[in-house]
Amino acid sequence: MITREAVLNLANLSKLYLEESEIENAQKEIEGMVNFADEINKINIDFEDLPELESISNAFHEDEIKESFPQEKILENVDGGKDGYFHIKKFN
Amino acid sequence: MSAQKRGIVKHIHKLISEKEISCTELTKKYLNEIDKSSLNAYVTVCHEEALKQAKEVDEKISSGEKMDVLAGIPMTLKDNISTSGIETTCASKILKGYKPIYDATAWRTLKGKGAVLLGKTNMDEFAMGSSCENSCIGGAKNPHNTNYVTGGSSGGGAAAVSGNIAAYALGSDTGGSVRQPASFCGIVGLKPTYGSVSRYGLIAYGSGFDQIGALAQTAEDASIIFDAIAGHDPMDSTSNPNYKSNSYDNLNSDIKGLKIGIPKEYYDGVDEEVRKPIEEAMKVYESLGAKIEHFSLPEVKYTLPVYYILVCAEAASNLARFDGVRYGHRTEHYKDINEMMCKTRSEGFGAEVKRRILLGNYVLSSGYYDAYYKKAQNLRKLIMHAFYEAFKKYDVLLTPVSPTTAFPANKAYSNPQEIYLADICTVPVNTVGIPGISVPCGFDSKGLPVGMQILGDKFSESKLLNVAHKYEIATDYENNKCLAMGVRL
Amino acid sequence: MFGDGGKAMKYDLVVGLETHVELSTKTKIFCNCANKFGSEPNTNCCPICIGLPGTLPKLNREVVNFAIKAALALNCEVSLVSKMDRKNYVYPDLPKAYQISQFYEPICKNGYIELDSGKKIRINHIHMEEDAAKLVYKGGDTYVDYNRGGVPLLEVVTEPDISSSDEAAEYLEKLQMIMRYIGVSDCRMQEGSIKCDVNVSVKPEGSEKLGTRTEIKNMNSITFMAKAIDYERERHIELIENGGKVEQQTLRYLPETNSTESMRSKEDAQDYRYFRDPDLVDIVLTKEQIDEIKKTLPELPGVRFKKYVNEFGIAEKEAMLLVKYKNVSDYFEESIKGLKNAKTVSNFIIGQIFRSLETEAEKEAFEILTTPSQMNELVKLIESGKLNMNLAKKALMKMLESGKPVTEFVSEKDMQGIPPEEMKKLCEDAIKANENAVNDYLSGKEKALKALLGSVMKQTRGRGNAQDIETMLKDMISK
Repeated sequence: MITREAVLNLANLSKLYLEESEIENAQKEIEGMVNFADEINKINIDFEDLPELESISNAFHEDEIKESFPQEKILENVDGGKDGYFHIKKFN
Repeated sequence: MSAQKRGIVKHIHKLISEKEISCTELTKKYLNEIDKSSLNAYVTVCHEEALKQAKEVDEKISSGEKMDVLAGIPMTLKDNISTSGIETTCASKILKGYKPIYDATAWRTLKGKGAVLLGKTNMDEFAMGSSCENSCIGGAKNPHNTNYVTGGSSGGGAAAVSGNIAAYALGSDTGGSVRQPASFCGIVGLKPTYGSVSRYGLIAYGSGFDQIGALAQTAEDASIIFDAIAGHDPMDSTSNPNYKSNSYDNLNSDIKGLKIGIPKEYYDGVDEEVRKPIEEAMKVYESLGAKIEHFSLPEVKYTLPVYYILVCAEAASNLARFDGVRYGHRTEHYKDINEMMCKTRSEGFGAEVKRRILLGNYVLSSGYYDAYYKKAQNLRKLIMHAFYEAFKKYDVLLTPVSPTTAFPANKAYSNPQEIYLADICTVPVNTVGIPGISVPCGFDSKGLPVGMQILGDKFSESKLLNVAHKYEIATDYENNKCLAMGVRL
Repeated sequence: MFGDGGKAMKYDLVVGLETHVELSTKTKIFCNCANKFGSEPNTNCCPICIGLPGTLPKLNREVVNFAIKAALALNCEVSLVSKMDRKNYVYPDLPKAYQISQFYEPICKNGYIELDSGKKIRINHIHMEEDAAKLVYKGGDTYVDYNRGGVPLLEVVTEPDISSSDEAAEYLEKLQMIMRYIGVSDCRMQEGSIKCDVNVSVKPEGSEKLGTRTEIKNMNSITFMAKAIDYERERHIELIENGGKVEQQTLRYLPETNSTESMRSKEDAQDYRYFRDPDLVDIVLTKEQIDEIKKTLPELPGVRFKKYVNEFGIAEKEAMLLVKYKNVSDYFEESIKGLKNAKTVSNFIIGQIFRSLETEAEKEAFEILTTPSQMNELVKLIESGKLNMNLAKKALMKMLESGKPVTEFVSEKDMQGIPPEEMKKLCEDAIKANENAVNDYLSGKEKALKALLGSVMKQTRGRGNAQDIETMLKDMISK
């Protein structure tokens, strides 16, 4: 069983607040999903024998400066920010 | 049989380039039907932008400029594909008001060809779901029967194309999100090979699984769209540096001697009403000279937990950036930065998203990584090998898309695993990174569409589209039924 | 304390360093925005480095090259296949809420830096990663500037091989020097382009078992780092001696009070949930590629230092001043080509040139008007006996001010020196004119000879060689 503490720890890692009712629910749901995920631990296979799969490698950008975005554009989704900065106003 | 089912893209192209209708008139027709529509297919409708683009196309036509086949075709994008200056929310409260300052590569490419963007379509929040009902504006409705879901997550795009309020749509497919709604709505859905279409600008769910795909009325339309958006993008490190597609030229190739494998595990627990039309389709292929062979692919059975472990882990990390600092929703009252972020996220995300973030962080957290994440990675490799072996024997595989047809809207599920089980036929494709196409192949007794899925080896989109197209021709498009709604041409 | 007859227990200090070196590439690690210090806030930014949804990183090729250079210079193995991972933690200075780093398969492994004592400080690995943004706190508000977000870093992680604060300081100075030599970083501590996390523990002398460690974060001064280590050492020992236990925790050093304070304890230690970043592909290198880069590496300061001391006979202290900055050492190397005595150039650099370069930054830049070939020409004149040291020094000062060659400041006559007959005559004249001085000298006052010498030198207008004149005077007087 997933403990209440474990759920609270996950919520903390996830930066989520859970309501009292949600915590209990989450305990059950995570338990269910963990059981579901545990299916894979019933499989006993030696992975050592598998050859490496071909995949794309070495994707690089060249070290040449391209123009950055204007400051106004960068701050467009925070109503222009404050003094050129992203701004988180004083806590209340 | 309506003419437009035989390839609406070329049909519209002909209409506007021969000036039978102006692009502006056509776009207005679509916008009108969208405004009247009750399908809840759109999150955002771009009246002004669409008409502006249409006008530009009309100007080019009157100046006699040669037009790309996609120029002036009214289309939509799923709401997780970034559009500069146009709200892009992933159907989530947390991105309310967010307007990207750049275009996704796939959209930039289509825009460059003169595509007319009608709007952003509905989806399960952050593409997490198979019904489209996990949307902050509620689910889209299935045009074949509005009491049923569209499927998901690209449900809005599927509804729009099926309901004739968009000529085609781009969706994204992480575990079936293009193919399954296409199948539920009776249209074609192509999930390309991982690395064939740029992911740049697609808001990530599972980065190692996501692909942008096409939702279209026919394989021919899907082919035209795919050829346009496929190819290398330097902005995406995982994009194949050498890939180029010209599937359109290969659409009519003979499929005599084609070896079609039928992996039996895909058919376990599949509804009789879904199985029957697919078996009919096998006969059609045999009549076209293809060879059908049944075989076993037992590794498919592992896919579901492997997929959910990996995709939730990536999602937990991908969705951690929505913290209220740089864009989107920010909570009003907080006493410190941590509380600001936690409250913002708790208010902004829906239940399914929270669930997957929690599971993702669980499998990554210290002490569990080896048992879940690492083991799942190894199993993923095993599944990949099994599929690659299968493609040494078969040209394509033929499977169902979903064990059932569309399910009723607002059906309450007792547990999430039940819903996840519905993805059993679609997630292997993403787990392996191969392409898959969903093609309409009949209807159930309620008149809801049934889809079949054709799978191929990496970068075999051209073959899949060819195989799909041959079936559509052979069956005279009888399964791509044109509904009496939306824009009629 | 009571059982062993009051014999004080001795302790070994065990220190490991994790050093973040900011790379001086032109662009950031995952996008083409400028990697530049001191710009207006949020002006070196794009959708990628502010982490807008849907953006993807693309690794800077030069960062890989720099990492390979660092690996080779620090005696590391270069991994032929390495991968990028995500380090997950949520904070406003991290726009994607994860830092792209290398955890499972870093690009360099198993190297070392050799200290002057010959002791090797082993390097466990070096990995590539991105820097976080800058947070500014003002009036309770938080302001974020993403210019620094995505600046490339190398993190150099040692084994716990360091056993004193002096060794830690020496290690860091050497690392700094090597990074500058190979041109991957300017290592300016005050700009934060080199920063250190320090792991400290103590154990009873000779014991195998390591004690509980504490980690002091973000040290950006060698002096303070050494002080922090000494402070922690004392604190740990005191705790243990008083029957207490060292608590594993992360600390911040407070220079004002020379003490440390807790940032977080083990209980709320971060769980970074590292996993392979699916947005980036493997970095696959070939031996040939690595060999090519090896060829471009300059001679390293350690090698030069040994050469200066053993081959050129330069004192260790002076050799250290020469190798400290690459510009100085390069100038020295260039200037001594074809010279018999490299020491003369060394003396000029440390004596004459450094006098005009006051700050360390000026010494590091070493922007002087006299070219190495002008310096070489000057010293060649001395070595051929055409110019004496006095005149050479005077000429050098003028050369440094003007950038003109030595020939501008000394005449043909100066360079010819004084013909022996003329010199003889001058000495004779001086002896005649200073009878008192001669008598004084003869009565044992060595100093009196200086007056005679001065008088002759004055007559030669500085062209004469003081040593020759002195010998000549002595000979004449004793006759």
